[in-house]
Amino acid sequence: MSYSEIFKDHIANPRNAGELADANAVAEETNPVCGDRLRLSLRIRDGRIEAARFLAYGCPPTLVCGSVLAEMIEGMSTYEASKLTRRKIVDAVRGLSAQKQHAAALAIETLQSAIQAQSRNL
Amino acid sequence: MRKVYLDHCATTPLDARVLTAMMPNLTESYGNASSVHLFGQQARAAVDHARRQVASLICARANEIVFTSGGTEANNLAIRGICEAAVPHGRHIITSAIEHPSVRGPIEEFEKKGWQVTRLPVYENGIVRVEDVRQAIRPDTVLLSVMLANNEIGTIQPISDIGTLVREISEARQRSLRFHTDAVQAAGRVPIDVDALGCDLLTMSAHKLYGPKGIGALFIRRGLRIAPQQVGGHQERERRAGTESVASIVGFGAAAELAKKEMHDRNEYVQRLRDRFETGVEKQIGDIVFNGDSVQRLPHVSNISFRFIEGEGLLIHLDLQGVAVSTGSACSSGTLEPSPVIRALGRNEELARGAIRFSFGKDNTDEDVDYVLEVLPRAVESLRKLSPLTHQRSIAV
Repeated sequence: MSYSEIFKDHIANPRNAGELADANAVAEETNPVCGDRLRLSLRIRDGRIEAARFLAYGCPPTLVCGSVLAEMIEGMSTYEASKLTRRKIVDAVRGLSAQKQHAAALAIETLQSAIQAQSRNL
Repeated sequence: MRKVYLDHCATTPLDARVLTAMMPNLTESYGNASSVHLFGQQARAAVDHARRQVASLICARANEIVFTSGGTEANNLAIRGICEAAVPHGRHIITSAIEHPSVRGPIEEFEKKGWQVTRLPVYENGIVRVEDVRQAIRPDTVLLSVMLANNEIGTIQPISDIGTLVREISEARQRSLRFHTDAVQAAGRVPIDVDALGCDLLTMSAHKLYGPKGIGALFIRRGLRIAPQQVGGHQERERRAGTESVASIVGFGAAAELAKKEMHDRNEYVQRLRDRFETGVEKQIGDIVFNGDSVQRLPHVSNISFRFIEGEGLLIHLDLQGVAVSTGSACSSGTLEPSPVIRALGRNEELARGAIRFSFGKDNTDEDVDYVLEVLPRAVESLRKLSPLTHQRSIAV
């Protein structure tokens, strides 16, 4: 399937790329089969995600899902963020083919790991 | 937005002169080449003329050319046709580690049926060694299939040396070992003389040399018996049944004639563009690896691995800026298949995933090269900024 305009925009202009120097929740997950990697660093204050940054290596959907996720979760409470689903990410990029859904799954998995890491740090 | 097509190994645009040659057979000359009447005779004459043009490109005889639906069918016909006919003599095939899927596929099928297959390594330069071929040949070997030029890295294999070896061994054994070469990327790009190469079968495809899609050919040396794969018609001397696609065959003939006539000039031109591109890339972008032999390769192909990033991302970045390139790796269903060709060079997975093929054509210009040299470094930099591999490296340094 061809990519949506929003998908292309995130590829050309990734949002929230990089790492936070003062992050208090960091996670990096790898798809063990294809090797795609997503790293998420969050600054969480009083149960709210104040800032989110991502780094990604892999196929274009992995880069785009990282960008969409990092933009989407800024300002969310950690409770709201922990309820995000793969479907939400897929909808935000206006659809992904069945073969590329793993990119959205990696994004959600990394987010959940980061939130859990922050809980452990409390 | 400027559009720059650098994917001529995938396909080439139809040459306007080829289209002109095809037009009568798409309009008023619509006869079936097998019909006896005047319409049929016109079509037959057109097919015969094109057969001579295609044969001339590889210094073969016209009756040694069998038209097919393309390179894939020709490769399938060569491998299945020889192996099925050779069953009583042996069940061993030799091939290289970097063949096109249309060669790998039918060979894997025979392997599943219990045949033994030896896959020759290619080493870092992407070239098969003749000594390895000598070592691999066994008394029960019936087919050797090594491509003339590789479709991803463009390396040219020592086919005439292998052909000489095969002849020596066949004469000593007093039984023929058949030698096939897939010349889909090479035909029309490098001079080919089937006698000098010493091959028994050779595959070509029209759309790689500015001809139409859907038409290819298999050279089958005179006297060689092959099991047909398409049956139910007398066409192509009983070797490939089915009504000839006259217009496509005429287009193939015209494209072959032009390729032969203009080969030197085209090669000189695209090599100059390719070399200028590579010099520019090397100057502007760090952490890259050129894949394949720098000399023994097709003049229009450049394959580069960009460290820390994945090829598909770079491909899309370039596509959004109007530049069409190709990657040999594919990510689907959460499984990555890094290019087997780049892996066969001994490159690690990261380099195999970061490989991009740029293949130039006769219609590209210096301005195209300038544009790509402007957008490519930016695209690479943008993706590297996103990559955790780049950040890891900075920390390590």
